[in-house]
Parts: sequence; structure tokens; C-alpha cells
Amino acid sequence: MEGTEIVEDEGILRPMKCELNHLTMPDGSAMFMQGDTAVVAGIYGPVEARVQKMMYDKASIEVVYTPIKGPPCVDDRMREQIIKETCEAALIATLHPGTAICINVQELQDSGGLLACTVNAACLALINSGLSMKFMIGAVNCMIEKDSQKLILDPDTTQIQEAKATFTFIFDSSKKDLVSCQTTGRFTEKEFLYSFDKCKEASQCVFQFFRSIVTKYATRI
Amino acid sequence: MEVTVGDVAMPGDIIKDISTHNTKDKIILGPGLRRDGEVIVASKAGVLRKGQSATYYIDSYQKRYIPNRGENVVGIVTQKVGDIFKVDIAASEQAGLSYMAFEGASKRNRPDVQVGDVVFAKLLVASKDMEPELVCVDSLGKKGKLGVLSSDGMLFTCSFSLVRKILNPECPLFKMLGKEQAYDLAVGMNGRVWIKARSVHETIAVANAILAAEYTALSEMNSLCNRIAKMLLQQR
Repeated sequence: MEGTEIVEDEGILRPMKCELNHLTMPDGSAMFMQGDTAVVAGIYGPVEARVQKMMYDKASIEVVYTPIKGPPCVDDRMREQIIKETCEAALIATLHPGTAICINVQELQDSGGLLACTVNAACLALINSGLSMKFMIGAVNCMIEKDSQKLILDPDTTQIQEAKATFTFIFDSSKKDLVSCQTTGRFTEKEFLYSFDKCKEASQCVFQFFRSIVTKYATRI
Repeated sequence: MEVTVGDVAMPGDIIKDISTHNTKDKIILGPGLRRDGEVIVASKAGVLRKGQSATYYIDSYQKRYIPNRGENVVGIVTQKVGDIFKVDIAASEQAGLSYMAFEGASKRNRPDVQVGDVVFAKLLVASKDMEPELVCVDSLGKKGKLGVLSSDGMLFTCSFSLVRKILNPECPLFKMLGKEQAYDLAVGMNGRVWIKARSVHETIAVANAILAAEYTALSEMNSLCNRIAKMLLQQR
């Protein structure tokens, strides 16, 4: 729906598309596309927690990530953990003690930046579910090219082949602070800080997109 | 990001008008708003609205019910446990309904409530740490409109924004529908609506009218009701 330009010529986020309340059963859901990477997220909650997972002072957050085919592997478990911890930071879990909030994410297509896409989809689904949040979370993916040392924001699968290092940064919307970060490959401190700054700038486009989507749906009711 | 009344607020946004308010004025924060130190921050996404005097709230979309004290809900009795009935009110936990909480109930004279019955009840206790508790009487011991709803009605669910819209005294929907056909109706704040009209056709027509009202402006309600009435005349 919106592609947004940043100073560098390679610094363009792929176009984002989103449909809220796409599923009827969950309490909140979102289908989110970033370029060709697409995921569907659904939220159930607050629901009754299982006895082992129940916490008396706050809601327990469960994340289930389902890949397109086969059972979830180690990478998928790690992705679940990252989504869980970032959503825990954003949600005000103490408002619903003794309950569970279940976040289900289904991968539809992976064309690079899957983690960023899942986090953004989870955030939009949380917004749609009406659960109280401290802030929104927005994820941006970037990479450093092996030969040219150039920073590429939101790369696709073919670009990632040439990557020396990839970064996924997740920011909050109120203070624009870093919530979590995932990296692969080898890189210098300078490269890390440079990509951090670029992604921070780009995260504003993600939040702007969230706002435009919610405005579109809010004014219709 | 700072927002003012009428704007779409997102979680984490600072509400500008309240933060700059005179400190001596009393302000009431409704759903979706919280105080964080000196500023007022939105915690839900939706349109920021101002009610009477200085009441602010966020008009948000939500499907999962979170019980609030004093709200009327439509629930389904799921089991009898000793002296209380367990009622499913679509919240995270089942609510309790004591058999003494009915009009004229006593130890000897138990109310006739079966598992599977639909009840219209008021939330007496609704706290995040405790099980919700329902009653079917008011403080004077009268049942009023509360109680078991008859089994020949129809129950359907809708969004909370629709419930708030149709329960708003300014919404002309029920009055207009009532001109054409007679019906019994119980609207729960948990998004469940129970209706019973004279025939199955009419029941379904009224249910469709209510669901169609979600995306209908108040000014267009009249034509919606006329359309439904015309459709029913053709059926006869």
C-alpha cells in the first residue's frame, strides 16, 4: 500500500500490505505482507490459562509459530521466543493475571526478512485484539553486502545470498528505543551502529504504516 | 506522537489535551487510557473521544470480553456446582451465579435453571483477580428484566462496538424496528444478543437488521428499517 523512501538509493523498505481482522475465530488477527514475505497472525486472549503456565500476577504469553511445511525446527523455536519476549515488553500483562494470551503465527511465504514480518504481524494483531499495550513494536530488517560493504534495508531472498551480515532490530513506538535485536554473520561495531541508526529511521515508516492501517479501519466503524 | 480528541490514537501515543489541562480540574479516564507519571498515554488503538464533562476514552474494536462491574451480560449455564451455576459469559473465566440470586428464591424454593439455559444477568463482582459473579436481581430483590431467557429465542454474537452503538439512547434502531414488528431482545455487553420475535422469519430479519447496523450511519437507520419491514411483508 505504501512504499517509503529513505535517503540512500538502496534504503527503501519493500511495500507493506495489511488486512486486519482477517480471521473470524481469533480475538484479533492480521495478515501482513512485506514485499513478497507474508504471514498471518491471530491472537486469542485473555483466555483461561493451563495450570502449569498460570502466573498469579500477570498473563502468560504463548507464541506458536507454524512454518509452511513440516514441523517447527530450531530456528522457528527461536523465532517464537523472540516474538514472545518482544510482545511481553509491549503488552501490559499485569492487567489480566492468571490468564493466557496466545499468539499464533502462520508463515505463508518467506522472501527475506521473515522475523521482522512476523513481529510486525503480531503487533498488528495485538492492536486489533484490543489488548492494552504500553507501546507498539516495529521491526526492520537490514543487511550488509559482502563485496560492496553497502547497507541494504529490507532485503529480499536474492539479496540475502550476498550478505556478510544481517540484522533485525525491533523498536518501540513511544521512546523509539531498541526492544530486541537479532544478528547473523560477522560485522564491526561501527557497521552495527550504522545499521542501527538506519533501521531506527526506517522504523518510523513502519509505525506510520500501522497508523494508516488502523485509521482506515477505525473510521469505517 | 501526540493526539487530540477525534484523532486515531495508537498505543503509546500521548494525549495532548489532557496533559495540558488545568491541574485542579477533575478528569475521568475511560477505557484505553492510562496515566504514566505526568502524561496520559493511550494503551489501545482507536478514536479518542470526549464524553460529558472531562471524560475521555478510546473507542476501540474488541472481540474478547473483559468483565466490568455492573454490566449486563447474556450467558449460557454450563454446569451446576453445589449451590452455584457456572455461566459462560465469553470471558477468560466462567462466572458464578448463586441460586439465591434469583427473585423469590429461598433454600426450599430453588429457581428452575437447567444446564444450557441462556440467562440475562448483571455482573456483581468483576475484578481481575477474582472469579466474576452474576446476579439476576437488583438491590431491592426484584428481577426486573434479568433472569432466564426462554429457549425459543435466538442467540448470536456481534462486536462490542456494535453493542455500544445500539445501546446508545440516541440510536433509533430499536424504536424503528419496533414500529413494524414486536420482539423481545436482550443485549449483553459481552457481545451476545438474544432475540425472540413472533415467527422465525421475523427473528432472523431483526437479527440481520442489528448486524447490518454495524456499518450503517444513524441517519441511514430509517431506510434500513424500512427495507427490513418491506422484506417481511413480501414473505407473508
